[in-house]
Amino acid sequence: MLRKLLLVTFIFMFVAQALAAQVYLTRNGTIRFFSEAPLENIEAVNRQVNSALNVENGEFVFRLPMRSFSFEKALMQEHFNDNFVESHKYPNASFQGEIPDIDDLDLTSGEEIDVVVQGELTIKDVTKIIREAGTLRMEDDTIHGKAVFIVKPEAYNIRIPNRYTRNIASEIEVSVDVTLSPQ
Amino acid sequence: MKTWKIILVAIAIFGVIAALIVWFFVYNKPHPDFIGAEPDMELPAEQLYFDFIDDEQLANETYIDKVLQIHGEIADVEQVDDMVILSFVFQDGMFGGEGVRCTIHESFHEEALSLEVGSVVTVKGYCTGFTGSDVIIEHASFP
Repeated sequence: MLRKLLLVTFIFMFVAQALAAQVYLTRNGTIRFFSEAPLENIEAVNRQVNSALNVENGEFVFRLPMRSFSFEKALMQEHFNDNFVESHKYPNASFQGEIPDIDDLDLTSGEEIDVVVQGELTIKDVTKIIREAGTLRMEDDTIHGKAVFIVKPEAYNIRIPNRYTRNIASEIEVSVDVTLSPQ
Repeated sequence: MKTWKIILVAIAIFGVIAALIVWFFVYNKPHPDFIGAEPDMELPAEQLYFDFIDDEQLANETYIDKVLQIHGEIADVEQVDDMVILSFVFQDGMFGGEGVRCTIHESFHEEALSLEVGSVVTVKGYCTGFTGSDVIIEHASFP
């Protein structure tokens, strides 16, 4: 009787652990953007990115507060929040999508695996379908996810006044870097 | 002729001074001093969190871009890369314990890491928003 109870307890713990391990999370993912323009280069970083990856079905999401983008120059940060992304009206950006065919990938190989990430990226009041290349690499119990892609500000209703066209690029490089741990 | 020269030199000097003022005090103005700033509001960390849970839009308008002084019982102090994060936790969610997460200013890292879980602490910092699981306070210090 005791052995049966121990066996049931063990199976229950294993199943619970396996179920819990389907979702990998972080609260401190990093998103950077880089603008290269004739007069100056501008870089900003946000380390308050909530992100989750379900390795069973490939669902991948992230959400971040726009005010957490940190710039080298205070004036740039002010313009970014007040004039460009209007973070008082649209305080978050988010992505909701998937990594298709994730069950065909061998995450346990420990190698960096090329993946495609597709879904809806929302910035300000605009949602666009995107499909971008990225990588996943499993190390010990964590998954490192990376993607670099281009965002055009005008596509997300971010209007750059003419006087800033030599300061801010029309195409911004966005880098996503997340280290996800089991739930 | 001499008067014109004096006027031109004066205009040039004025122009250089104006350019320097713009360069130092506008283009290169410093980031806000969140450590020295007076808080815009003081409230319990629990109230801050549940205000976001109850009505996120209203809480966005009320708290984001404000210097807040909050107090509560420490649930965790963790080091994430070069960041030290002090958490107040009020309920369980997808991300585990969820509540208010304060990224501590580097000059207060040592003090934060010496705090004991369960002790009550007051933290002042800049509210940047809500991630869906936590309210985020950055540049946090102990007033």
